[in-house]
Amino acid sequence: MTPVQFSFTTAFILGLMGLTFHRTHLLSALLCLEGMMLALFVALSLWTLQTEVTNFSAAPMLLLAFSACEASVGLALLVATNRTHGPNQLQALNILQC
Amino acid sequence: MVYFAFMLLVGLVLGLVGVACNPAPYFAAFGLVVAAGMGCAVLAVSGAPFLALVLFLIYLGGMLVVFAYSSALAADPFPEGWTEVTVFEQLAFYLLGVVAAGLYFGKHWYTLFVGMVDSCSKFFTIRADMGGVVAMYGSGGFMLVFCAWVLLLTLFVVLELVRGLSRGPLRAV
Repeated sequence: MTPVQFSFTTAFILGLMGLTFHRTHLLSALLCLEGMMLALFVALSLWTLQTEVTNFSAAPMLLLAFSACEASVGLALLVATNRTHGPNQLQALNILQC
Repeated sequence: MVYFAFMLLVGLVLGLVGVACNPAPYFAAFGLVVAAGMGCAVLAVSGAPFLALVLFLIYLGGMLVVFAYSSALAADPFPEGWTEVTVFEQLAFYLLGVVAAGLYFGKHWYTLFVGMVDSCSKFFTIRADMGGVVAMYGSGGFMLVFCAWVLLLTLFVVLELVRGLSRGPLRAV
């Protein structure tokens, strides 16, 4: 495993662990998701360069479009929970489930 | 250049550590900016300048919205930085994990170079990444249309999510 592969793998796993363990704000979870998407973008771009498949370099662009979708839906959920449940602490969402 | 690239990779991982160790979103956004800048520089030095530019302009530009939200919606009077005890112990935990994994996987790194490839760069006037992205408008046109349709669908999803207190999918119970 080269240092480049190691670093983007580590970045992805760090984002995943940060998303999994002990979130207080919904926004922190969203930021961790964005970090995972960043690691995936770097990974796909470097994959293009390492395999020397030129046509594959459109894939990071498409991933970026999908990550824009993810970010916008996450922010919309944030706004909706902020309207209905008050402050966006994740612990406050557990006690209000129906 | 190799050491410079290695430093950028360390910066990428450190930025993600700063996001993952659960500080206030105010500071986590800063960690994400650092990680995005370092990732952009990694792409630039490994021979994908167009993708690096796209990452820097579009990703960071789009993330500006998230940063504005994180300073507006999660406005604690005393946001937890990385020096708070609860944050710092997770920071130390993640850093220890990264160093341990690096020691485990990095036994042969001195023979491997950094793994930076500057391929697809010989005898071309257009760099490989730009040529490949151009193919998205030709043979990859279906995926382009599909992406546009997905973005349009997302617009309606967002509009439906933030519709109102009594009509939207998330309601006060």
